Amino acid sequence: MNLKKYVALTKAGIMENLTYRLSTFIMIVGNMLYLLVAYFLWKAIYASSGTDYVNGMSFYDTLIYLTLATALFTFMEMYIVWEIGRNIQSGQIVRDLLIPMDYRRYLFWSYSGSLVTHFVFTFIPTFIVICIVTHGAIPFGWNLPLFMLSVVMAVSINNSIDFFVGGICLYTESIWGINIMKQVLVALFSGATIPIAFFPEPLKTITLHLPFQAIYNTPLNILLGKSGDMAETFTGLGFQLLWCVVMTLISRGFWNFSIRRVTVNGG
Amino acid sequence: MKKKNFRFYLRLYGKILAQDLKSKMSYRADFIISTIGMIATNIAGFVSFWILFRNFPTVNGWGYYEMLFLYGFSLVALTPVQCFFDNNWSLRMYVRDGSFIKYCFRPVNLFFYFQSEVFDIKGLGQLAFGIGTLVYSWTKLAIAVTPLAILKTILFLITASLVMVALQNAAAATCFWITNSFYVLDLVLRFKDYAKYPITIFTPVFRFVFTFVIPIAFIAYYPSLIILRPDDVGVLTWISPLVGGLLFYASYRFWMYGAMKYSGTGF
Amino acid sequence: MEPVLQMKHITKEFKVLNRREGVKGTLKDLFSRDYKILRAVDDISMDISRGEIVGYLGPNGAGKSTTIKMMTGVLEPTSGEILVGGNVPYKHRTKNAQEIGVVFGQRSQLWWSLPLIESFKILKDIYQIETKDYNDMLELYASLVNMDEIIKKPVRQMSLGQRTLSDILAAFLHNPKMVFLDEPTIGLDVSMKARIRTLIHALNKEKQTTVILTTHDMGDVDALCRRIVIIDHGKMLYDNDIEHLKQFFGAYRTLKLRPFGDRSDAEEKIKATVTDASVSSDDDWISVLVDESKTGVMKVLGQIQEIVKIKDMQLEEISTEEVIKKIYEGGPITQ
Repeated sequence: MNLKKYVALTKAGIMENLTYRLSTFIMIVGNMLYLLVAYFLWKAIYASSGTDYVNGMSFYDTLIYLTLATALFTFMEMYIVWEIGRNIQSGQIVRDLLIPMDYRRYLFWSYSGSLVTHFVFTFIPTFIVICIVTHGAIPFGWNLPLFMLSVVMAVSINNSIDFFVGGICLYTESIWGINIMKQVLVALFSGATIPIAFFPEPLKTITLHLPFQAIYNTPLNILLGKSGDMAETFTGLGFQLLWCVVMTLISRGFWNFSIRRVTVNGG
Repeated sequence: MKKKNFRFYLRLYGKILAQDLKSKMSYRADFIISTIGMIATNIAGFVSFWILFRNFPTVNGWGYYEMLFLYGFSLVALTPVQCFFDNNWSLRMYVRDGSFIKYCFRPVNLFFYFQSEVFDIKGLGQLAFGIGTLVYSWTKLAIAVTPLAILKTILFLITASLVMVALQNAAAATCFWITNSFYVLDLVLRFKDYAKYPITIFTPVFRFVFTFVIPIAFIAYYPSLIILRPDDVGVLTWISPLVGGLLFYASYRFWMYGAMKYSGTGF
Repeated sequence: MEPVLQMKHITKEFKVLNRREGVKGTLKDLFSRDYKILRAVDDISMDISRGEIVGYLGPNGAGKSTTIKMMTGVLEPTSGEILVGGNVPYKHRTKNAQEIGVVFGQRSQLWWSLPLIESFKILKDIYQIETKDYNDMLELYASLVNMDEIIKKPVRQMSLGQRTLSDILAAFLHNPKMVFLDEPTIGLDVSMKARIRTLIHALNKEKQTTVILTTHDMGDVDALCRRIVIIDHGKMLYDNDIEHLKQFFGAYRTLKLRPFGDRSDAEEKIKATVTDASVSSDDDWISVLVDESKTGVMKVLGQIQEIVKIKDMQLEEISTEEVIKKIYEGGPITQ
């Protein structure tokens, strides 16, 4: 694997992301505004509930969970399915497949610049602000490197899901419909909109057996130290790794199969 | 050249719409999958709402059905912006690659011509869902159904729609200056989600901001007071139709001003 | 003839950011206030009369699009006066739009998913075309091109050629005084190019429509334009008949050769030997442009014969392509 060309793609992506400078400032300021609002909203919601803990989640837990889930979403969601969809509709995909590079890798690395930019400009500021605001509700210890490891796997799982859905798009003309269903499912079952701890019982059990929760719920629980002892943390990571491998295999297999079909049929 | 009045534009829009629908229906699979996606989106939205209020039965003195009313109200109020002004989301792409210019060559109102290009039929599902929610919570709250109450509801729904359209126009139009307006639109989209919470849960500073700076309180809260808390209606509710109209007009002028100063990329 | 378009001392300036290179440079640019003024169009004046087809030429980035944008009322000039059919375009954009037709850029201006005829019907409403005029126009179109193959087809399913054809038809539909065509034949095959040119020519003749054509294809210029205007770096380089232009290069002859054996190899050899003429080649021929005021054609041919075996040869007047190239490169212009 020639690392240089991937770095080149990432660099180009970063530059493209920063070209429109006012937009970069708005990204940062907008994110801060959002944090402020989320803070007051949840403070009020907790204040009116009368208890400090709801489903084992304190106000700070919920705040950290949701704001960091949003920040993770901002940098992980690369809108790759939209890109695949556009390329399919415009016929560009036939040309893209001729690039001397695996198409999946090519797309991922083209978008990795955006990933890096958003990590630096939204995730890190969010993390710092939240650390300060919650007065050390996030423990600093082994959970941090494990959280990063978990995020890397989450990116991989998310990417696999994207390409699985992208594969479906090769068969249907309906890019919007497929994509919106994917977004809705991921947003709800990954814990990006509501902490999974809040889910009622049967739904919670189902959710925990789906790959989606490994994207946001697992890393965030590791970060918050919610899983209690180390054993549980490693079980979480283990399951994530399992999903990582399974989803990669399924997604890769399905994509390659579908691409071959499309190429045979002449697109 | 005959004068192009309101009737001219209405008839023109009708014709474009009819043609557009006809061509959309001809892609059967896409139409069906999109419809399913649209229903899934609404169900997921409702499930999130439901999970949240299972854990927090009241928010700042607002009960479940009152919150449901606000939720339904904002769904209906958001339909026009989704159906008629969805092309705003593509504006930044046309501006970036310079193809926005193609809209400038026709002897009709630029704003109208641009928005008329896209009619997003998917918003209709949201409308149905919103009306259902509204009617359901209305009966549960045992509010008397009088012609006046219905008239008021409709008037204030229109008001709320105008506010939302205005916010989105203004957000989209920022791309004429900053080229990439995605983060501004995204911010408005996020704040739009807060429209369904009673403004009183926020601190006075945010109450002020959400009333006079980013006026999302006019999307659901102020207008809904007239039905939910008829004894508690303040002057801000009564002037909200006026505010809606003014905001819409201001956003239209802002959009047009941006379009006029826009010079296209490259020369 | 009444002028349809008048431009007097038009200038357009833009403020642009000086950008730096690399990721570091991009980060620095976030805070930069380093702007420069770019003069895209610099003191251009011209009058264009009814029924003319004018070739508006210049290398990429010369200021052609900016000029067209000012003519169509999209841009306001920094200084100078401009009138299109008596209107000031940027002040009365919609009124001006009623009088002009535009095909600009690669993206179709028609409704992407609608059949062409439905697009036409909507345009009929937008431009408030009388039913009789509309029907006459469609009849005229039917006599010029095969409408059956495109009229019921949605634009998104059309080939590039059909799409261009449709866009041009749509631009003439409301019988405008003036039509702007930007690179109408780019990317098309030879037969489609010819069909497009014939169509433009016929519509210009039939309706006395003024056409302003920007192109890099000299085939378009030869087939359609009597008058050409050339600009570069925003400045007007030339505005006159094409024949008039060629006279300046009367002393130039193009010697066209076809060698035995490998063409590019022969071209290299000729380039090395013949130093006082410019050598270029296309698919069929090697062209040697000879300035007869400096050296003789026969002398050059003699030189070449000594190093390359010639299969076939032709002697031509300087081609439009080469004239334009000479001007872009800063050749002798004395108007």
